[in-house]
Amino acid sequence: MILPISNFRENRNLTFKSEQKEKSGTGSAYDEDTLLTNNFATRTRIGLDKLAKAFSIYPAKGIKGSINSNFYEFLTLGQNVPFIIGSITLISIFNSVNKHFSHNALKKAAKLGNKMALGVLLYALTKEASKVLTTKPIQMLTGIDTEIPYAKVNYFIQEHPNDFDDLTSIEYHKVGESVDFPRWDLLYGDPKKGEARNFRYDKIAQKNGLGTNLNDSDQDVKPVYKEVLVKSKIAKSFSSFLWAVTAVALAFQKPWEDYFNAATLKFWKGKDFLHSLKVLGRSFVRSCKSLYNGTSSAKSPLIKHAGKTLLGLTALTTILGVVNSVHMTKKPQNYNNNVIDPKKESVVC
Amino acid sequence: MRTTNLLQSYINNHNSPNIQQYQSDKVSRDFDVHRELANRTFIKPLPSNGKLIHTTIMDYPAEIQKDIKYDMKAFVHAIKGEANDHELGRLNDVAMKFGGLVLAAYLFTVKQTPKTKLFEFIGFGTFFAAMDLWPKLFIQLPAQLLHGFNVRQKYEDNYGRKKMFFQDHQFIPWDLYSDKEINDIGDRLNIPKNIPNRRNAIQEKMRQIALQNNTLWMLTAGFATPLMSALMCNLVEKPVNKFTDSRMDKFANKLLSNFKNEVEKYDFSKQRAELDKLLKDNTNKPITKELRKAIFENLSDGLDKVVADALEKDLGFLLPTDKSYKISDSSITNIQNTVREVFKQSKLPENIIERIIPKAEALTERFTSTGLLNGTYEELSEHSKAIQDILFKNIEELTPELDANQQKLVKFHARRLIHSPQLNQDAPLFKTLKFEPAETLSASTIRTLETVADKLNTFKAENSVLNRYAFIKVAQAPETGLANIWNHMSDEMFKAMKFTKDEIRMARIDNEIASKILREKMESIVADKNSYGKFITKMGELLSSLHSRTVPLDTSQERNMYSSIVNSSCDTAANTLFGKGMKYTASAIAGVMDDNGNLISPRTSAKHVMLTYVDDRIKGVKSSFYRFLNLADLYYRVAHLEGETINRSIPREVKEEMVELAKTVTLEGHTADFAVKFWQLRNPEAKLDDISQIEVQNGKVINKYLGVGEHSTVEFSNDRHYFDAVMKLMYGDNLHPDTVQKLENSGFWGDFKKYRQDVLEILGGEKYFAKPNHLVNGIERASSSEERFLLTGSAPADMAYKAFHNMFNSGKWFSAFGKLGAGLVGVTLLAQFFIGRNKNPWKKEAKQ
Repeated sequence: MILPISNFRENRNLTFKSEQKEKSGTGSAYDEDTLLTNNFATRTRIGLDKLAKAFSIYPAKGIKGSINSNFYEFLTLGQNVPFIIGSITLISIFNSVNKHFSHNALKKAAKLGNKMALGVLLYALTKEASKVLTTKPIQMLTGIDTEIPYAKVNYFIQEHPNDFDDLTSIEYHKVGESVDFPRWDLLYGDPKKGEARNFRYDKIAQKNGLGTNLNDSDQDVKPVYKEVLVKSKIAKSFSSFLWAVTAVALAFQKPWEDYFNAATLKFWKGKDFLHSLKVLGRSFVRSCKSLYNGTSSAKSPLIKHAGKTLLGLTALTTILGVVNSVHMTKKPQNYNNNVIDPKKESVVC
Repeated sequence: MRTTNLLQSYINNHNSPNIQQYQSDKVSRDFDVHRELANRTFIKPLPSNGKLIHTTIMDYPAEIQKDIKYDMKAFVHAIKGEANDHELGRLNDVAMKFGGLVLAAYLFTVKQTPKTKLFEFIGFGTFFAAMDLWPKLFIQLPAQLLHGFNVRQKYEDNYGRKKMFFQDHQFIPWDLYSDKEINDIGDRLNIPKNIPNRRNAIQEKMRQIALQNNTLWMLTAGFATPLMSALMCNLVEKPVNKFTDSRMDKFANKLLSNFKNEVEKYDFSKQRAELDKLLKDNTNKPITKELRKAIFENLSDGLDKVVADALEKDLGFLLPTDKSYKISDSSITNIQNTVREVFKQSKLPENIIERIIPKAEALTERFTSTGLLNGTYEELSEHSKAIQDILFKNIEELTPELDANQQKLVKFHARRLIHSPQLNQDAPLFKTLKFEPAETLSASTIRTLETVADKLNTFKAENSVLNRYAFIKVAQAPETGLANIWNHMSDEMFKAMKFTKDEIRMARIDNEIASKILREKMESIVADKNSYGKFITKMGELLSSLHSRTVPLDTSQERNMYSSIVNSSCDTAANTLFGKGMKYTASAIAGVMDDNGNLISPRTSAKHVMLTYVDDRIKGVKSSFYRFLNLADLYYRVAHLEGETINRSIPREVKEEMVELAKTVTLEGHTADFAVKFWQLRNPEAKLDDISQIEVQNGKVINKYLGVGEHSTVEFSNDRHYFDAVMKLMYGDNLHPDTVQKLENSGFWGDFKKYRQDVLEILGGEKYFAKPNHLVNGIERASSSEERFLLTGSAPADMAYKAFHNMFNSGKWFSAFGKLGAGLVGVTLLAQFFIGRNKNPWKKEAKQ
């Protein structure tokens, strides 16, 4: 439901501009939807922005039932709050009461508790980090960056007649976030900045052999782009979850117990801290070997090679996902960049 | 730019002044919606084909099937690059669940026991179930009860895609709700009936409530999901335990009932093929140590150490490698090579070494002249002497040309050639001479080895099946049949004693505290006949179940399938092997045999170990629980001053000492306490003239002398009657009639009485050198330490200490996370009463 804007009585103008931008002029806020560079700094900034808002503004708006609360906020909330609180709760379930146990029971419970905590941590880290295993090769092979972020300016509705100040918010989306409605418009170049209108599409077309100097590379590239987008999403989903569970399987290997005995975060105690890091590295290597080699005494080949099977399945899923993504079937049927021979004279009606 | 946008096209085509433009009269007081809708220029969307989904639990199977079909299609679409956002969103969830399933499957392979294996999948299931159940039970249901509508309503859009109705608050397909449905919800939400745009007001209220609930869901899900999953896992632990126990029991029984088929599952064909190749390759070739070792390794793979050692001994006779040796022309070259190798280490110049090495002609001539060549020789000293003669002659001739150091080196290495550096090891020269044993692998030996291999492989397979059966049933490992029985009995027994939380908290600190608390509890139970009756009945039930589970395992029973298969398997293998001259192996399998293959004693054999292992494990467990029952009866007899010893006319102080000792020993005593005849400090100047009965109050003995007043105490090593009396008080006196009445009809009763008699005679008849006359009834009874250990069983205090630990740990966990869970449920439910309480616009309008 759209409520009427009723500020005319107060004779005041609504502001759809970020105060922050006005004050600082740093460009940290945007007047219109803006394509961002996909680099580590931007991704970190977006991640932190989302994290901070997921724990502050969005739940506050949601719990008030704000009319401006939208799906993006709900999603951001869902992608952060339950995962972080859930991880802490899960770790706590396996660790927090152990201290009340007797020495032997504590030792036994701590082994499982520590592995569970490490598993939770590695799951989260690997789930995010492993996405590059599909997105980067796809980008390198097709020139299509499926992860390009953009800042979307979201306009609010006045919740109260006294709401005059900044009625915008910035949301961070990805150009290919929706495969039904990718933000094609943001991929066009800005002639004011001296960019060719189709320069991004041209690059993708060239990279994928669709031809050079195409009149409308965007029309040729869009079906291909969309195909890669869909395929990369399925590849990313399955691959990243499998890498995450492989990391949990790694966390459950026996050699980590050496690290748990030596682990310390007291970095000011240089010697102990360095020793802890050394054991961490050693335990990691041994755990990897242990995961790969499995239980050598096991008779069943399934049990003996379970680690290898898991690693193989995960690697194979990633590879197949990437191969399928770069295998394009939506290329224009008879594309030929020489339909109009530049050397011959032609008339455009 | 050409556009195909329909809206744009409409505007372009209808912007002509000739066409009548729709003029909305917003200020009109009598706005007629039908007139507005009848206006042909009004652009309206196509009617929706979507619908709200109202499913009941009965629809779930069909819905799940539909969802799986949808996801499979979506997967194919995604692989082809044709999927839409909704399909990709669902596939992301599928990937998450698939990942979880893969992890559960991996951890399933890593875990050792059936229950822990199963719990990997249960954990996976409960986690995803908790994710789904938490919002359904604690958000959707209370919200529906309070606000009258489903805040997690789902709908199916035009394309049959299932979505959450309130997922995107800026796109809610309100048209799927009829006016009647909306008005009914409005009534429930107390929205006035006479306000303008009532439907809008209701919709806004519903939106607010749904948004608040969705936010509440996101804020609580992180706490709730792992917590609920863990609590669900705890809830199902006992039923799962019961299920796996029964499944493993049936599985073990099937191993024996289907013994032949199970044995056939073990495939030794690869091992057998390797042996065949080995034998074929070496047919009629000398039997070397290497060959014998290879044959032994092949045959012994899968045998236990004792049988394998015996097999090695037998193979030593069957495949002799050091009986006699062949010396031929090739031996001459070998001798020269060996001498060269030894002297090379001296780092002497090569020309000198070559001059030291005996010449082939010289060796041949010497060997031929003395008949030492081209024959079979058991004794090689003559050969050695001949070689040394030539060698030292060479050295002697060379000596003038060598300096002192070189002379020393030559002598040293010459000695190395004929002296062994290690005991029982041949010197290099002898090794060379023994290079070609005279014994060859004959066809008859091969046939024997083949028969032995076949029999041993069958025995190994049978042994593996039997060992697996014994392990599942009685091994001292988690989740075996006997371990499950122990845990169940221990849990139920201590539960029946009704310990308080404080008692459990204190008792788990220390063994002695646990003992004290258990004693107090037992004394309070036995003080009251009713409570003792209840407790003893429970003990009876538990012991009956123990008895019924262990009777089929009793190998002394004639119809015991395990013992008959063990006997037949071992005896058959032993007979065959004995017939093939493998008498040590046969003895190691079935028992010591005489020269005719008759069994002298089965002890120390694999068969004996297989049978006694099962018996001993059961005996140890039974003794522990029988001991607890005996303790309860002893405490009861003391509490009510009944029984032979307690009513004997003995000095009160001695009786007090005796009762205290009996109570302590039954509670805490170990095998060593019985062995040293109960070391106790007693009053050497006890009042012998007071022969009154001891006083008992609430199950406790009120001591008149023991521990009262200051006097010295000593250990009486000469009072043999005291040991006899204490043993009889504990195990010799008749059981209390109340105990007898409750339990005499139980299946285990005879076994329990036998246990008491055995303890009295065996533990009471053990001779201790420091107190040789401390014997029950003065009779010595020989027994093994293992037998005494098994009869003593676990001390009730030790058993309680472990049980208190478990009770405390699980109680602590439940207390912490149960409270957290209850708090979370409380807060979530309470929050529902604050939801939907925002300022209502119609109220504002009404005020204006």
